[in-house]
Amino acid sequence: MSTDAGKSGGWKDRNWYVSLSGFWLQYKKHKIGLLGIILLVLYVGMAVGAPWIATHDPSPTAKVAPNYLAPQWVSVFDPEGVVTGEFMPDTGFNDTSTWMIDPEAPVSYKNGTNQDEFEYVYQEATGDNDFNHVNLTWTHANETMDWRTPADPDDNLPAANDFIYFTQQLEWPYESIPSDVNMTLDFAITRTGDFAELEGGLMFKVYVWVIDSSGNWRNVYRSYPLYSDSYRERQMDLSYLHIVDGWRGMVENETGYQEDETDILTVAVGLVPTAVFRNFLGDTPEYNYTGSVTASFRSISMIAYGEYFGLLGTTDKGADAFSQLIYGSRISLTIGILATAISTAIGVVVGLTAGYFGGKTDEILMRVVDFLLVIPGLPLMMIMASFLGPRTENIIIVISILGWTGTSRLIRSQVMAEKNKAYVESARAIGASDTYIIMRHILPNVTPILFANITLGVVGAILSESGLAFLGLTDPGQPSWGRMLADAQATGGFTHGAWWVVVFPGLMITILSLSFTFVGHTLDQVLNPRLRER
Amino acid sequence: MGLREYVIRRLIYMFLLVIAVVCFNFFLFRLPTILFGVSPVDLMIDVNLRRNMTSEVLEEIYARFGLVPDPDIFDWIYMFWRYVVNMFTGDFGYSFVSQAPVTDEIMARLPNTLLLMGTSSIVAIILGIFTGVKVAADPGSTKDVGAVTVALFIYALPVFWVGIMLLMTFSFYLPNLTGGLIQFPSGGTITPDVWIAAKDDPLGGLIIAGNILHHLILPMVTLGVGGYGGYFLYMRNSLIDVMTEDYILTARAKGLDENQVLYKHGMKNAMLPMVTIIAMTFGFLINGATLTETVFGWYGLGRYIFRSLIILDYPVVQAIFMVIAITAILANFVADMLYGVLDPRIKYG
Repeated sequence: MSTDAGKSGGWKDRNWYVSLSGFWLQYKKHKIGLLGIILLVLYVGMAVGAPWIATHDPSPTAKVAPNYLAPQWVSVFDPEGVVTGEFMPDTGFNDTSTWMIDPEAPVSYKNGTNQDEFEYVYQEATGDNDFNHVNLTWTHANETMDWRTPADPDDNLPAANDFIYFTQQLEWPYESIPSDVNMTLDFAITRTGDFAELEGGLMFKVYVWVIDSSGNWRNVYRSYPLYSDSYRERQMDLSYLHIVDGWRGMVENETGYQEDETDILTVAVGLVPTAVFRNFLGDTPEYNYTGSVTASFRSISMIAYGEYFGLLGTTDKGADAFSQLIYGSRISLTIGILATAISTAIGVVVGLTAGYFGGKTDEILMRVVDFLLVIPGLPLMMIMASFLGPRTENIIIVISILGWTGTSRLIRSQVMAEKNKAYVESARAIGASDTYIIMRHILPNVTPILFANITLGVVGAILSESGLAFLGLTDPGQPSWGRMLADAQATGGFTHGAWWVVVFPGLMITILSLSFTFVGHTLDQVLNPRLRER
Repeated sequence: MGLREYVIRRLIYMFLLVIAVVCFNFFLFRLPTILFGVSPVDLMIDVNLRRNMTSEVLEEIYARFGLVPDPDIFDWIYMFWRYVVNMFTGDFGYSFVSQAPVTDEIMARLPNTLLLMGTSSIVAIILGIFTGVKVAADPGSTKDVGAVTVALFIYALPVFWVGIMLLMTFSFYLPNLTGGLIQFPSGGTITPDVWIAAKDDPLGGLIIAGNILHHLILPMVTLGVGGYGGYFLYMRNSLIDVMTEDYILTARAKGLDENQVLYKHGMKNAMLPMVTIIAMTFGFLINGATLTETVFGWYGLGRYIFRSLIILDYPVVQAIFMVIAITAILANFVADMLYGVLDPRIKYG
């Protein structure tokens, strides 16, 4: 270290720089210490950048997909397995060629005999309107309608033969059916005439069909009033039967036989008159009504879930494991660092006081330490956390209450060795106060030992936090690694073959605490010369 | 100061600690009352149920737990008195849930916990000492650095995760892969069917012992791994310290071979601080391992205290906490005594 630091010259001669660079020269000789620092930087980056790194809602209860889907990269071993994805080729109606059967022949998307009543309009996005639209309109004018007799026994087709629809085709490349399918339809409805005056919109519905390449129509969604004239998203969760019916024809069986010729699936969205309209006020009520209804569609999308989802699959509740894992670093780092900061502060104050003043003060403080050492740690933390309520700040308090005893003993013994040295004696002889001696002479001399102690304390706090979270004592709204493991264990994660919900959270805890251990071990070797030859 | 005086001082000190623990326990379990004004009984009894209770019934329930509804200062003194008398006479009351005496409930689980913790600690201690000595003979060697890194890695492992991983490997994936050849139970202490079948068998005891052992292996390995790192590092560091002492140099100068120096002179002295650690370990044995016992569904005290806490069975939690703390104090005392007896250089003071 430099002895004439701080006199002149650049900042490179400053005391802090010289001692820091000297320390760094020693530190960087230790490979595991460097590895620890790199890992810590990665973790901190993960915690800070969580909103940008996470791909989905990190809430442990936010269902984004079916439960226990495997990570996407596992599908490398299963080329036929369905990888979750968006399958609608054109969700925002940008490319008319993808969603019309034949743009040149608008008739093809009208159905039945009474076609004049139905109209189809495609509007491209304009300046004041950022979205492409497809408008389906039914203008009714006191005419007979072509009712379906008898009614479709499977209820897949509407009560009237007359309706209007548009379609979009997608290709299903896999040879197995999806585990779940969610569709989102964004539409608004405007009404005029009698349709506007009448209750709720009993007269018409928006239907969504899935049509396989054999031409079988399956109704997967029908809208319900009340309708609003502003755009709203409707989530459609296709039932298992719909999925089986709709997708079965496109999947080869063991012998390679496929029911349908192609892998093309058609999604149709239509505006249809309903049976209520027919039965309302007698057999042919349509004579008494005039008016129009327009359904305006802004987007349609379809996510099909397979056996594979996202970077790390899904949990027991169908939440995205990767996002939870990323956000989990926040709570571990927060609790680990804050709890250690508090317990170190208490430990240093107690250790300094006990060691420096000795006598009765020392006796009392050390008896408190002895007492805390015989109290069983985990049971006490459990009891206090459940009494105080499992919030993050309470977990921090609970962990730091027990964490300071080791630090205080360490500091005390160092202070006792330090306070009788000649330089302290001389400082006292020239009239330095106790506070001055402690702050200026004793504390700087005992801090190097503290650093290793702090990093190892963080390890303890992180492990305690994950243990408490595993027992359910964690903030219910916050994702945490311990909680992920608890969920996996409680719902029998691995007995569903979902090893990813067990392996990764544990690995995250291990690597984080390992990096702190590595840094602590290295600090110990660099800063404690007594241990250096070990 | 002589040995006698030292023992008496430690005894008095131990007694003071016990009193401190008893008082602490009292206030810990009345923390909800102090902080939020609700007693454990209030938390347990459903609001609707409570509305239909006569005040006599309610008071009877309170009295069972040694509590008074809406206590004033005199009630606190009364409650404390009742509590202290109960604790020192070993009357821990009745479990809210099972209605059985808490003592019986604890005794039913104690052997399981002692079995699990005892075996795993012994395995971890023996392995830790053995490998620690091996490595300390040549500090700084590749073997040493490797072993220390492994120990640090173990130190960083969350033990309950190790348990889940073992469970996943040995009771799910390996049985599936080997067709049931390697099969470990997925939890519990004993298979109920085996218990029923073996009860009337003349060799039933062996079958039951075998079955319990089968259940024991995974949690034992889990806890053993969890404890090993600490014992290893402690033994290694202690022995490396000892090996720099003058008497080791003397022993070498006498021409003793290195093994004799290491085991006869070095290890014996390095064991001294280990004795304290081991005694303390055994003090915390009945502490159980809440996390490991929960993972493996082990019928022991660690899991019991946690489950009781979740279902608000306060008499049980209070009693177990008390028993654990007092055992730890006793073990501390024994450790002090042992150290004094084993190391004649210790000055009592």
